[in-house]
Amino acid sequence: MVLVERGRLFPMTRRWPAQTTILVVEDDPATAKIIQVRLEMEGLKVLVAANGMDALEILHRDQVDMITTDLMMPAMNGFRLVQEVRDLAPPKGRIPILLLSSNHSEQDMVRCLAAGADDYMAKPISVQVMVERLWRLYERSHRVG
Amino acid sequence: MPFPHDLLLPLLRWATFGLLALTGGLVLVGTVLQYRKDRQNRHRIACYQAWETQLTDYLFKRGFEHESFGPVPWADRWLFRDFLARYQSTIAGQEFELLRELYLSMGLHASLPQRLKDRDPNVRAQAAKEISVFRLDEPAEHAPPPVTERPWRWKPGIRMEGYLEQVLPLLDDPVPFVAHTAAQALTHSRSLRFAAPVLAWVMREELYQRERLLRVLEGFGPDLLPWMKENLESPNQNPEPWILYALLVGSHRHRESLPRLLWLLDVPSVDLRASVLKALIILADPEVYPRVLSLAASPAWEIRAQVARALGVLGGPSAVPDLLPLMTDPVYEVRRNAAQSLVDLGHSGVSALSWLAEDPGSDRFARDMARERLEWADERGHL
Repeated sequence: MVLVERGRLFPMTRRWPAQTTILVVEDDPATAKIIQVRLEMEGLKVLVAANGMDALEILHRDQVDMITTDLMMPAMNGFRLVQEVRDLAPPKGRIPILLLSSNHSEQDMVRCLAAGADDYMAKPISVQVMVERLWRLYERSHRVG
Repeated sequence: MPFPHDLLLPLLRWATFGLLALTGGLVLVGTVLQYRKDRQNRHRIACYQAWETQLTDYLFKRGFEHESFGPVPWADRWLFRDFLARYQSTIAGQEFELLRELYLSMGLHASLPQRLKDRDPNVRAQAAKEISVFRLDEPAEHAPPPVTERPWRWKPGIRMEGYLEQVLPLLDDPVPFVAHTAAQALTHSRSLRFAAPVLAWVMREELYQRERLLRVLEGFGPDLLPWMKENLESPNQNPEPWILYALLVGSHRHRESLPRLLWLLDVPSVDLRASVLKALIILADPEVYPRVLSLAASPAWEIRAQVARALGVLGGPSAVPDLLPLMTDPVYEVRRNAAQSLVDLGHSGVSALSWLAEDPGSDRFARDMARERLEWADERGHL
């Protein structure tokens, strides 16, 4: 399988299992759409939530394998969402989480990771790098699991 | 002359008619304006929905089924510009390079000179941001295309280079966020030819804002430090910019500037010395411990407070005997910092604090502070 980008061929080394589902929590629909399309090109099933509250609702209702969430959102922010997810009983409580934030401060990174997030990326983000990080998180969680 | 009563009724009738006509006219104008606004909004939403799909195809399927983004009508250029602006703070890497290509190929930058002078501060700030984000300081890449290939209305005589120079006047903008965005655009370029005006702008800001504005100066990168060393006037004459220098050395962890920092410790300005000590704490070089210890008896409490933090970081457990005298300092902040350093040192520091807290013969202020910090550390599980 190959991805065609900028006229060049990039071999796709990732092998996501069929029906792997990722929950994208992002209040900006423009960014959510970009992430969604790119992840769907990877063969992933993508669910989108506009804030932490909606994300929790989806999480209770559907099978989700990974979460990527923005930090600053209305209703329930990323920190709170991570804490709520980590309070759930396994396996949902152990879902790998990648946090995205437009705040670059060292304290925020530490807070994110201390809250239970598995990884952190500062905006602006490269979607390619994000996909790679998600793959590493997925691999690691399944090795550990 | 008495008012003719027979005219009163027709006058009132005409006045009522005029008032009704005016009200009706205003309602009509309001309705038309609202209709136009609704139509524009519907058009904007339709355009955005179509462009979102086109954009993801352009970014991820380029070279496969979609060679280019597709045509954007001239009348919708301003809408398209706002559409692209939504991605400028969130997307990076390859995708952002493609966005930049799109922005330049559509000639959206042609309107920047006018927008930088717009009456609306949001428009001015957005223009400055675009110059920075889309890196319009790289002249070769945004030269105007040949006349035959120009997809947009070209105005002869419009400037297509030197955008950053046009951002410079915005540093004096009366609206603070516009000036702030302009400063960010200039520092983002990393071009030191803008270092002097940006630094002058920072120095004009209130003292309490300066540390926040350090973030802006950090945009120049560590190359700003040698420039400051060369270009700032003597710290004895004007220590203020050197405070920023010291704080920047800390934020960049620029070890090469350590000799200059030590030299600045001899300048009599209290604020400057305190800032230098903050930087030394971040650099954490144990070699400077004796020099820092010599300031423990400074008459300025701001300096002693920083010394109390620095000794623990630079000296490790061997700093305990030097920290204990600072526990009896008459200023609360100095005692608190000394106690915090002892807590941070772990076993040896906590033992010293426990001894102070339990010794009835110790200084009363030192004993109270030791108890307070031990309780604080216990509550957070640090003990």
